[in-house]
Amino acid sequence: MTQAHQAQREWLQALLQGAPAAAGPEWLARMHAAARERLEQLPPIDRKQEAWRYTGIDTLLAERFVPPPHREADLAPEERAPLEGLETWRLVFVDGRFQPHLSALEGLPEGVIVGDLRSRETHRDNLLATSVAQASGHHAHLFTALNEALADEGAFIQVPAGTRLERPIEIVHRVTDASAPWLITPRNLVLLGERAEATLIERFSGRPGTRYFHDGLTDLVLGRAARLVHYRIQDESREAWHLSSLRLDQAAESRYEGCTFAFGARWSRTEQNTVFEARGAECHLAGVYLVGEGQLCDFHLDVRHEVPECRSSERYKGVLFGKGRAVFDGRILVAKDAQRTDAHLSNNNLMLVRDAEVDTKPQLEIYADDVQCSHGTSVGQLDPQQVFYLRSRGLPEVEARRLLCLGFASDLLEAVHDEALRHHVESRIRQTLVLEGG
Amino acid sequence: MTETKTPMLSIRNLHATVDGKEVLRGIDLDVGRGEVHAIMGPNGSGKSTLSYVLAGREGYEVTAGEILFEGRNLLEMDPEERAAAGIFLGFQYPVELPGVNNMTFLREAINAVRRARGEAEMDAVTFMKKVKAAAKQVGLKDTLLKRNVNVGFSGGEKKRNEILQMAMLEPKLAILDETDSGLDIDALRVIAEGVNALRSPERSFILITHYQRLLEYIVPDRVHVLAQGRILRSGDKALALELEEKGYGWLLGEEAVA
Ligand SMILES: Nc1ncnc2c1ncn2[C@@H]1O[C@H](COP(=O)(O)OP(=O)(O)O)[C@@H](O)[C@H]1O
Ligand SMILES: [Mg+2]
Repeated sequence: MTQAHQAQREWLQALLQGAPAAAGPEWLARMHAAARERLEQLPPIDRKQEAWRYTGIDTLLAERFVPPPHREADLAPEERAPLEGLETWRLVFVDGRFQPHLSALEGLPEGVIVGDLRSRETHRDNLLATSVAQASGHHAHLFTALNEALADEGAFIQVPAGTRLERPIEIVHRVTDASAPWLITPRNLVLLGERAEATLIERFSGRPGTRYFHDGLTDLVLGRAARLVHYRIQDESREAWHLSSLRLDQAAESRYEGCTFAFGARWSRTEQNTVFEARGAECHLAGVYLVGEGQLCDFHLDVRHEVPECRSSERYKGVLFGKGRAVFDGRILVAKDAQRTDAHLSNNNLMLVRDAEVDTKPQLEIYADDVQCSHGTSVGQLDPQQVFYLRSRGLPEVEARRLLCLGFASDLLEAVHDEALRHHVESRIRQTLVLEGG
Repeated sequence: MTETKTPMLSIRNLHATVDGKEVLRGIDLDVGRGEVHAIMGPNGSGKSTLSYVLAGREGYEVTAGEILFEGRNLLEMDPEERAAAGIFLGFQYPVELPGVNNMTFLREAINAVRRARGEAEMDAVTFMKKVKAAAKQVGLKDTLLKRNVNVGFSGGEKKRNEILQMAMLEPKLAILDETDSGLDIDALRVIAEGVNALRSPERSFILITHYQRLLEYIVPDRVHVLAQGRILRSGDKALALELEEKGYGWLLGEEAVA
């Protein structure tokens, strides 16, 4: 065992020993035990592995994370306020712990469950137990297994067949306590029945100065012809680490549309996987990321077409405005039998500074012959002609550059159906882009 | 000299290089308040370069001379400061801005200029009214207001969009660089009407053009011939007609002899 591997093992052991055994249902204990076993068997993360080639984990391993205590916490009025103009059903987690008193769940339609993983209602019928068991284990690595070894909270959402939700469901994660480096391990599960339709918004943020590792794992299970629109706003503390691992399970004719906006965290990684095993399903993944000084922002996407007549896309755009690094590893695989597939893959990057770095690896692997596929990738700069044109109309240089950056991402922003959310994201982009002249 | 006689724009012995090549080689030009000046001249003579130097484009290096705009040293000002001071350049080749909505762009521009002048931003209702009126005047379809700036516009639509921006920004000095090129006679008339509607004793224009045609609709106070980086001759509108008849050759000949 190399020294690096030894360090990983010790880091893990310290974490697992420090974690008190959670009181809770038996299935949870089983999940923990299974994950601990998996941790023993999983190979350590290594830069030699393709999935981790550009994404170092040294800063994570150097930190002694601890699970946050179960406790009621409060938020300042401005933290508690919903996004302006956005009415949602809301689950609020503070410092990794579910806060029923801050959540808003009144008036949910009959049969819809929106709750915490531990709440009694959610594991009625043992449904949760079986779902978690089914979902576990794929695409596993150190951090997803760590999530399942420790997770005793998370969001549980179930929308019964045929139900169409009028309002979005929102999962808000806020970290307020800067007294220790927390390890936050939400295990989320979203189940949509046949023809069910919902919009899910996840927001992650932390007060300035908070240090934590958000190690989230989410399963999204879409029944036949179900539709899920999923927005994720990663606006973590600049000293935080954020990992979101999302796994999709899509029945025939289901449609998933996801868009991640990444602004925060010193280190962030989004993993998203789906395998089409039933015809007529669609999966559209998109993202906009802003990378500034000292930030690393990583997307690892994997969509596999195993059957005919599915559609997928991966469209990601990044603006690098400081000395940071973006990693894009997007794969779409079209197997031999997946005829009449429609798949599009693109990654475009705008470099506003010289010393930023982008490692982009779009992979479109096609083994079928009757397909509609395209891919494209670019790394470019702002056009000085465009900047001058705007300045000649009176816009200060910084404003001109900002407007052009928003223009660069405009197609993805316009795809946000909810206007209040779109405004929020746009204004966060404006605030986040700290642009020096020249 | 009395205050009223001080020209709005005063260019003295202007030399400028682009990519190390001297393109402007000693320009002198005064534009008085409320005057319309036409600058004509063969391709490559430095007309666009002069317009870019006035607007403050990077890469156009002034190696000698000075430019005063309302008594201020223009060469020390950033492009956006010049815009706020009241200078507008209608581009020979308007720039496309993918992803930037035309209406948003206009609004940002107007409010940026207002902020720079210490004025309040324009409210949404007034803005909409103004935009609609201006678009109608320059004959720009409403649908183009909702599109991205100049993206997918025809040549004529781009030029109309420049005039629309001018109408919205209400500059003190508008420099229109070949706004008439490539336009049919109807479009030309619309643009000329747009300019004429803005003519006032407080507003000056520099029209860069190849054709006498535009000057039938916008009658200039002065006409200048710019060739090989210098103003070879200045006169009244009759000079434009003479150029139309004789071309530029006779003037270039004079230069060669001189
Ligand atoms: N960006 C540039 N790079 C190199 N040469 C330029 C550039 N802009 C202008 N020039 C040169 O400067 C001269 C004048 O060009 P320009 O001002 O565009 O003339 P006009 O507008 O009168 O046709 C030409 O010889 C042209 O080739
Ligand atoms: Mg020109």
